Amino acid sequence: MPENTAKHTSIRMLIMLAVSASVGLLTHLLKLNNQQVIASAIFVMIVMATLLFWNFRLAIAFIGIGVLMGTNTLDLPTFIVECKIDVILFLVGMMVTVGVLRDLGLFTWIIQSVIKTPKMTGRLFVIMLIFLSAIMSCIVDEVTSIVFMATLVFQVCDALKISPMPFLIISVMATNVGSSGTMLGNPVGIVIGQNITPPLSFVDFVVWSFPIMIITLTVTMFILLWWYRKEIEHLSERLSERREMGMGLGPLINVPYKTGLAILVGMISFIGLHHWLEIKLGLAPNTVLIVAPLVIAGVLMVFRQERARHYIEADVEWWTLLFFMMLFAVAGSLQHTRVTEEIANHFQNAFGSRPALLMPIIIALSAAGSALVDNVVYVAAFVPVVDKLGQTPLVWALLQGVCLGGNITMIGSTANIVALGMAEKRYRTSIKFFDWLKVGLVVGITSCLVAWGCLMMTSKYMPTKQQRLQTAQSHLKPAAVHDSNTIR
Amino acid sequence: MAAKINNIIRFSSLFTPKHVICQTKITERDELLLEMLRKLALVVGIGDAEDAYQSLLQRENEIPTVVGPGIAMPHVRLSSINRIIVGVATSQAGIKYAPNINQPVKLIIMTLAPKIAPGAYLQAMSSLAKICQYPATADNVARLDNAQKVWEFFDQDGMTLEEHLKASDIMGPVTVKLQEHDTLERAIDLFVRHQIRDVPVIDKDGDLIGVVSTHELLKVCLPDYILWIEDLMPIINFEPFAEILRKESKTWLTEIMTMDYATVIEDAPAAQVAKEFAKQKVDHVYVLREKKLVGVVSLAMFLNKILRE
Repeated sequence: MPENTAKHTSIRMLIMLAVSASVGLLTHLLKLNNQQVIASAIFVMIVMATLLFWNFRLAIAFIGIGVLMGTNTLDLPTFIVECKIDVILFLVGMMVTVGVLRDLGLFTWIIQSVIKTPKMTGRLFVIMLIFLSAIMSCIVDEVTSIVFMATLVFQVCDALKISPMPFLIISVMATNVGSSGTMLGNPVGIVIGQNITPPLSFVDFVVWSFPIMIITLTVTMFILLWWYRKEIEHLSERLSERREMGMGLGPLINVPYKTGLAILVGMISFIGLHHWLEIKLGLAPNTVLIVAPLVIAGVLMVFRQERARHYIEADVEWWTLLFFMMLFAVAGSLQHTRVTEEIANHFQNAFGSRPALLMPIIIALSAAGSALVDNVVYVAAFVPVVDKLGQTPLVWALLQGVCLGGNITMIGSTANIVALGMAEKRYRTSIKFFDWLKVGLVVGITSCLVAWGCLMMTSKYMPTKQQRLQTAQSHLKPAAVHDSNTIR
Repeated sequence: MAAKINNIIRFSSLFTPKHVICQTKITERDELLLEMLRKLALVVGIGDAEDAYQSLLQRENEIPTVVGPGIAMPHVRLSSINRIIVGVATSQAGIKYAPNINQPVKLIIMTLAPKIAPGAYLQAMSSLAKICQYPATADNVARLDNAQKVWEFFDQDGMTLEEHLKASDIMGPVTVKLQEHDTLERAIDLFVRHQIRDVPVIDKDGDLIGVVSTHELLKVCLPDYILWIEDLMPIINFEPFAEILRKESKTWLTEIMTMDYATVIEDAPAAQVAKEFAKQKVDHVYVLREKKLVGVVSLAMFLNKILRE
C-alpha cells in the first residue's frame, strides 16, 4: 500500500472510530443502558463506513455484527430474524429476472427505441430520458435502471461528441425520483413496505406514491430542462448536424424483444396482483409479493438452464445483499434494545403527534439523512421510529424524503455512485461535489416541497394504521393469522 | 581526463587513446571486431573476448548497427563488466560492413555495456546523435593519424551522456498515420494492410489530435447495449457492421477517434514511457514535441531496447 494511501486510510479509520465512540459516549450521557450504547455506536460506525470506506463497508459490517453478538447486544435468533431474509430473497428474485431480461434483449430494444426516434431534438431526448429513467427505476431497481440509462447517455453523447455529464445527472435524478413510484424501485421501498405494521402492498404504493412520483418527476423535469438549457440546445445542434449527414446514433439490430416484454409484463402483473392473490388464498400479507420474483426467477432458470448458474452467481449482487443483511441486523439491534423506541418517544415529545407538523419534519430529516448517508442505512434505522409513530402519512413522507433526498448530493443514493463510477471509468472524469450540490439542492428541495404538498392533500384520504390492521386481519384465514402473529 | 561535471558524463571518459585502433589496414568486418575486443580485453579486461565476439557477431548479423554515413555502433551486453566500455576503430579505406549496406564503414564505435544496465548503450548512442548526422564525420575521424587525436575528437563539447535515457532515445518514427480529414475507410484499410491496432491522427500542423483503434472501431460496431444480448441470432450475419460498411467512405475519423491514449514529451525519462504502458495498459506511447507528434514507442520496441539491445 503506498504511504499516502495508508496514511489516508488510518486517518479515515480514526475519524470513523472517533465518531462512533462519541455517539457511544453521548448515548451513555443520555442515560441509555450499555446494550443501547453499543448498538448505537456500532450502527453509527456502519454509517461512517458507508461514507468513508465504501469498498470495505461489508467487512466493517461483519466486524460490527461480531461486536454486537460478543457483547450480547444481539443474540443469534434475533440476528436471524432481523436479517430480513424476506427483503433479501425478494431482491435476489428481481436481480435474476432482470439478468434474464437483459439476456433476452429487452433493454437493448428499449435503448434502440430511443436511438431511432425520428426527428429527435435535445429537449425530446431529455424528456424521454427522464420518463424512461423513472419508469425503468419503478419497474426494475434504481441501480439496474441507471446502468442501462447511463449506457444510453454514453452512446448518444459519444456519437454526438458532447459531454455526457449533464445528461447523466438528469438521468440519475429522474431515476431517484422514479424509485419512489413503486416498491420495486428502490430497496428502501420494500424495506419500508415490509417493516411497517401492517405491511404495505404493491397496490398501496401505486395508489399513494406513484401519482406523487409523477408530479414530482414533472416538476423535476422542468427544473432540469431549464438548468441544462444550454447543453440541451447544444445537443439539438449536434443532432441536427448528424441527421444532415445521414447518420444515426448507433447501430440498430432486430431484437426479438417480445419474450422479454411478455416476461416483464407478466412479472409486474403477478406482483401487482399479490394483494388480491393473498386474500384469495388466505395468505399472510406480502407472501405472494416476496415469492413472486423468486417463482418467476425459478421458472426462467428452468427455461434457461445453461445460464441459470450465471444468473445466480453474476447477476445477483451478493456483496450488496450481504451488506444489507448485516445492516438490517444492526438496525434491528437498535429496535431490539429499544433505542428506536426512545428516539420515537423523544420525537413525539419534541414535535407532538400532529401529522401536519410531523410530515414536513420527517420529509426534511429523511431528505437530509439520505443526502448524507446511504438511504437504505437511513431507512433501516428510521423505519421502526416511523412505525412507532403509527401514522400512515408519515410512512409515505419517509419514502418521499429518502428517495428525493438522494438527489441532493452526489453520494445521496446508490444510483448516483454507480453512475458517477461508470462515467469515471469510461471518461476518466468526475464531477465536483459542489457542482452536483448546486443543482441537487434545487431539485431536492423543490421536489420535497411538492411531495409534501401532495401528501398534505392526500393524507386525509389515507387509511389509518388501525383501519389497515383491521383490513389485514379480516383477509387472513385463522391459520395465517396465527402464523403472521408468530412471525411478527 | 575530465569525466563527470555536474553529473554530466563526457563520452570521451568512457575510453582512452589506448582503446583506439587508428587507421587499421584490416578490411574484414568480423576480423576487425575481434581485434577491437582483444584490444579491450588486454587494456581494461572484459572477460572472455571470444564469447563477447560471438554475441556481438550474432547481433550484427541480425541487425547491422550502422547508425550514420560510414559509422557503425556495434554493441553487446556482458555480465563480466560493471561499467560501459568503449572501443574505437578507424579505417581510411573503409570496410564492407553488411551485404545490403554499400557505403563502406570508416568509423566503428564499439560499446560494451554491463548486462544489468538497461539502456546504457542507448544513452551512449544518444550522446553521439549529433555527430552521426554529419555526413563528413566518418571521413574526418578516419583521416586523424593517431589515437590521441581520435580521442580528442570525442572529447569535444556536446558529446555527453544524459543523466537518464529519454523517450526520444527509444522512440521510432511514426510510419503509419492518418490526417484529420481522412475517412474511416482509409483507417480500416491501414488497420488491415499494416496489421496494426492503433493509428495516430494528426492535423495539418502535425499535432496529434487523437488515435483511432481497432478496439474503438469494434466498440462502434458492437456498443454495450448490443453486447447485453446473450443470444447471437440478431447479429449472426454481422448486421451491426453493415452500417459502418455503408458509411465508411463518408464517415470522418472523428466519429471513432478516441482521446484516450498515452503520450509523453520527447525529453521525458524513458521510465515515464514504462509507467504509461503499465498505468494506461496501452500498446503504444506517442512522443510529442509540444503538441507535434515526433515518434512512437511500441511495447515490443520498448522491451527490446531496454532489456535486449
